[in-house]
Amino acid sequence: MHTLEFESVSKSFSERNVLEDISFSVKHGEIFGLLGPNGAGKTTLIRLLLDIIRPDYGEIRVFGDFLGPAAKNRIGYLPEERGLYKKTRLLDMLVYLAQLKGIPEKQAHLNAESLLQSLELDQYKYKKVEELSKGMQQKIQFLSAIIHEPELVILDEPFSGLDPLNTKTVMDRILGLRAAGKTIVLSTHMMEQAQTLCDRILMLNNGRRVLYGPVDDIRKERGNNSLIVEFAEKGDLNAIREISGIKKVTEHGKSVEIFPEEGVSVQILLEELVRKANLLRFEKTLPSLNEIFIETLESASNE
Amino acid sequence: MNSFPGKTFIIARHEFLKTIKRKEFLFMTFFFPVLFAGISILPAVLSGMNPAEDQKVGYIDMTGSFGFPESIQSEGLSLGSSGAKTSVTEFVMYREISDAKQALQAGQISSYLVIHEDFLNTGTIELYSLEKASVSNFELSSKLSDIVITSLLKDKVDEPTLNRVRDPVNIKFYNVGESGESSERGIADIFASFGLPLLTAFLLLFSIFSSSGFLLRGVAEEKENRIIEILLSSVTPSEILTGKILGLGAVGLLQIGIWLAAVVFGSGYALPIQIEPDTLLFAFIYFVLGFLFFASIMAGIGAVTGSLQESQQVAGIFTFAAALPLIFMQLILTNPGSPFSVFLSLFPLTSPVAMLTRMGATTVPISQILASIFILLISVHVVILLSSRLFRTYLLMYGKRPKVKEIWKNIWTGSR
Repeated sequence: MHTLEFESVSKSFSERNVLEDISFSVKHGEIFGLLGPNGAGKTTLIRLLLDIIRPDYGEIRVFGDFLGPAAKNRIGYLPEERGLYKKTRLLDMLVYLAQLKGIPEKQAHLNAESLLQSLELDQYKYKKVEELSKGMQQKIQFLSAIIHEPELVILDEPFSGLDPLNTKTVMDRILGLRAAGKTIVLSTHMMEQAQTLCDRILMLNNGRRVLYGPVDDIRKERGNNSLIVEFAEKGDLNAIREISGIKKVTEHGKSVEIFPEEGVSVQILLEELVRKANLLRFEKTLPSLNEIFIETLESASNE
Repeated sequence: MNSFPGKTFIIARHEFLKTIKRKEFLFMTFFFPVLFAGISILPAVLSGMNPAEDQKVGYIDMTGSFGFPESIQSEGLSLGSSGAKTSVTEFVMYREISDAKQALQAGQISSYLVIHEDFLNTGTIELYSLEKASVSNFELSSKLSDIVITSLLKDKVDEPTLNRVRDPVNIKFYNVGESGESSERGIADIFASFGLPLLTAFLLLFSIFSSSGFLLRGVAEEKENRIIEILLSSVTPSEILTGKILGLGAVGLLQIGIWLAAVVFGSGYALPIQIEPDTLLFAFIYFVLGFLFFASIMAGIGAVTGSLQESQQVAGIFTFAAALPLIFMQLILTNPGSPFSVFLSLFPLTSPVAMLTRMGATTVPISQILASIFILLISVHVVILLSSRLFRTYLLMYGKRPKVKEIWKNIWTGSR
């Protein structure tokens, strides 16, 4: 069964099409990535599925049905632009937000206490939110999205503004949610995290679907494998210009990603490279989601 | 929707608890009575500290026909029942103005009066006192009138006539009921019928000012810190709206309750009015409905406008409308049955205050009361519906302020 289904959904604001004919589905128990540049329509799509706004055309089904008040209680949501009640005590706020999701007060207390304990924020529970550090507030925001143990968790840019340590904490949490059988919709700019976490993705650009499917399939479909190479000397970078059969070279700081032309095998390319330059490291790889993201957007803007 | 009352109640309780812990609320609620008491009690306290002193007043009576008493006692202002302070004014007769002037300069008297021979034609009495001395004796004028009347009419009219001239008219008020029986209206009744509407009107306006202020601020804050988006993913805009209005309505009632208690206990005695139970019931109904009506309007304004300052400007228009019956209070009291008064008591923006005022001034047909409550109920319902549509459409629009035309369109289409 699909946890979430969009069928030919369109939405416009004051005659501007924000989403056009969007169809996709999210399977139970997967991490589904919602990718796209700023203004692609990701947040609008999320608000549609939460029934905060309504579509102009098309159908949206959550848990196999139209979203009602009871189904809303089964969804957790971390908005991109997020905030907390600054003057409210941490515990009180979490309990309040859980109660709004239909959790009885006593149970809400228990949930809040155990979540705070698991992130070692226990000693701050009687503090006002404004007294906490920014990093702690970000963790609390994440907690507020999952305090009612939702079956479907929607995370809009959960990593924005997080330091590496907190990024890892949140990533672990997301994987933990999937392991517990929850379904996660993850909207993000961070392709690295998306590639690591997501089972399937939907990429939007200007309100249209430009990519959709399992991450692995998309990477394989996108032409050949690529080569990531690190040279011992900088001059060696020029050497590869002479090699035929290279479609594109992308520099990533110290290393470069080399894309072979269609029909050229990576194996032959590598042999040629070894002959011409002093390699420090090489890696056969699928094109990264980041590469695909940029390529897709560039080709879209050229059209 | 089985979750309707539950979540609305949770929001209401949260708003209530959050607001009564606000510094602004605590300050307003507890400082206001102190300030009010200060303003009303201070003059009395000050005058209590400076009780009217005994004084000697000289007089030169050139008509030779006035019988001044040797002294008169007058009661000063007093606080509560703790013994009225009395002051004594002694009158000293002088034959010559120069003698009186000397006595004044020597400090033997505080002032002197000169009554000229032509007093009967002019009515003028001259009062002389030292340059720096304050002429504090307002009572002297009425005392002198009394002395003049008594002196002029003594031996010319009988005792009852004299008393009648000194105290000509006491009006007593009666009501004639529907079955023809009449009942006396005492001062307390008149206060109850005029004072209660006025008091209710002021309390209603105060509660609108303070609670809708909190409501506007709450919505603006939730919009600003974006928590509104989390709320909207859990509950419907109507639930947020209703919860907020109920919670802050309770805050408003609590505040008024505290103020009333402060007035009653602070004044040291019960208010001298006997309120009819049905008057109280209608006052409560209009109070609650009026509050709901205005609070919903305020919430809608809060949702649409971008900043607190902007929302307060727009809110001012509606607050002015709410104050209209106060402006026309006199008109409604003197002519409660006029079409204009009836209109004000039916029109939802003005009906709570206007109808209570009319009920004080006359016996309003029950059909009109029911009609006005019915109109108000419908209006409350419609306004909550429209406000929640505005909530839904505009709560998530940050920054840019929508055009009036656009708002108008969205009110009716309810687009979101």
